[in-house]
Amino acid sequence: MKPKVAVFDFTGCEGCELNKLNFEDELLALLEHIDIVEWREAMDDKSDHYTIAIVEGSISTPDCVERIHDIRNRSEILIALGACAVQGGMNAMKNQYPLEQVREEVYGCHKDLFPTLPALPLSRYVRVDYEVRGCPMTKNEFLKILTSILMGKKPIKPTHAVCVECKLNENECVYDKGMVCLGPITRGGCDSLCTNFGQYCTGCRGLVDEPDVEAMLAILNRHGLSIVEAKKRLELFNYENQAL
Amino acid sequence: MKQIFPLTFMTHNDIPHWISHLQKIENVIAPHKNGINSFSFGKVSDPKCVILNYDRTLSSIKKYFLPPKETLFSFSTDGKETTSSKVEPINAIFLGVHNYDLEAVFRLDHNFLSGHAESQYLTRRQGALFIGVSYTPDEWHFSNSVLKDGEPNHSGGFDLFLHEIEDGYLLETLTESGQNLMKGFPLPEFDGDIPKQQSFNAHIDGGFEKVTDVFSRAWDSPVWESYAEKCVGCGTCNLVCPTCFCFNVEDEVDLDLKTGNRIRTQDGCMLRSFSEVAGGEIFRNQKAARMRHRLYRKFKYISQETGESWCVGCGRCSAYCTAGISIVDIVNDLIHDSNREIGA
Repeated sequence: MKPKVAVFDFTGCEGCELNKLNFEDELLALLEHIDIVEWREAMDDKSDHYTIAIVEGSISTPDCVERIHDIRNRSEILIALGACAVQGGMNAMKNQYPLEQVREEVYGCHKDLFPTLPALPLSRYVRVDYEVRGCPMTKNEFLKILTSILMGKKPIKPTHAVCVECKLNENECVYDKGMVCLGPITRGGCDSLCTNFGQYCTGCRGLVDEPDVEAMLAILNRHGLSIVEAKKRLELFNYENQAL
Repeated sequence: MKQIFPLTFMTHNDIPHWISHLQKIENVIAPHKNGINSFSFGKVSDPKCVILNYDRTLSSIKKYFLPPKETLFSFSTDGKETTSSKVEPINAIFLGVHNYDLEAVFRLDHNFLSGHAESQYLTRRQGALFIGVSYTPDEWHFSNSVLKDGEPNHSGGFDLFLHEIEDGYLLETLTESGQNLMKGFPLPEFDGDIPKQQSFNAHIDGGFEKVTDVFSRAWDSPVWESYAEKCVGCGTCNLVCPTCFCFNVEDEVDLDLKTGNRIRTQDGCMLRSFSEVAGGEIFRNQKAARMRHRLYRKFKYISQETGESWCVGCGRCSAYCTAGISIVDIVNDLIHDSNREIGA
């Protein structure tokens, strides 16, 4: 029997999910190996049990907390999909303000109808088996993780910085173009997509393991950012990273 | 040095015509502009786009013999079939190569010939002809501190060599292969001497002899930690180094789950995951230990067997380090630290 796969969304823009519907060349090949049993954005069917639950978005309301525990209990494998699910994403920037202030700002006089919690990665509430990083999620990483699971192999998690991929692609260093870049401390695996196209790295895939934040702040400072500005840059996708 | 072949002279205007002439013989690979302030070697399509007056390229010509990423072989997941990737000799003329980059190729030749010979590298390496060009050292070059013949105009090992002078280039012919490249492109003979070498701005105090001496005592130096504090461990220094050759191997399985490829990708010892072994243990987890290992690979481990520096003084690791760490500064600090300790 083919593994039953379901897709769920929490707080986020749903861009990672849409990105998956764009797998025009790969989707049919994938459907040879899996049955998609639940996916709100693409179909009506429901299921009680999932071999693989793919979950997008961060956890930011009491309702989210209940749902993620329920999904975890009914899933054998849980994959966090995209920056919001893995790191809390941009949503987590709200965590620097008092929750009441955030509610007031967004919902005004109706704020009492919308209970809120700090936006957190899935892993703060449930066990996450695999992570697909990026904003939006990195397609090749998603396919690699899925094929590895189907083969019964442990997926290889990229741990090197984006700089590695930039150098393999022989891109001119963003710093040599007079811009600042989070590539030196950001987890690779994206094949340096943004810098290949002349942009700087915003750090959407999160920080490398055991990041040296002090050294990174010094680099950003050396290239013209104040320490306050430098910290803000790093927080964009990493507000909930304990190293910051 | 006695000239076997006469020196000839070429104007700046002659250069594109000459490159077109070379293209009729073989593919030409030469430096081009890449981005705003950088250069890269690439196959020449328009000879006018070749830039011979450059400081350094992002990657060295190593990438043609040891690609940053390559498929070693394809396989079927049932284990019954493997198909080796087809590897061809490069058969190209490398034009506009600096002395240190050719030295680096000779270092790699040693690495891939000794022990278990590496057939993919050695196959690609065949059919390469080298035309050197002199350069003006910038703040990062320091080749004469580490190489026996590290001068920017040292032409040994090349087939042809261009010495830049005010209104063009002097062409030095060094081998018969080089002479053959010039057949059908007559140039006027030059009656004079090769211009004097340009001086370097960066130096290792005491040169390679001192380096060898210091690396026998540098293991416990506090210098490693003082530089590691500034380092983020991004691995750039490894990836731009013309003599680094470490790699990682991964299997990528196709979506049909029936076939796949074994992929080799360049790796670097400054990366934390480089020393991760089975069970998740990382035996060189401290950046200072990784930095020490990188420099020992350049100045001691291979050098003590061959007598040569495995750092060629191109300055790439320093020029491209976003944290501003210079390999020359590290080595000079090690030398000063060691001098203090022995009271020299």
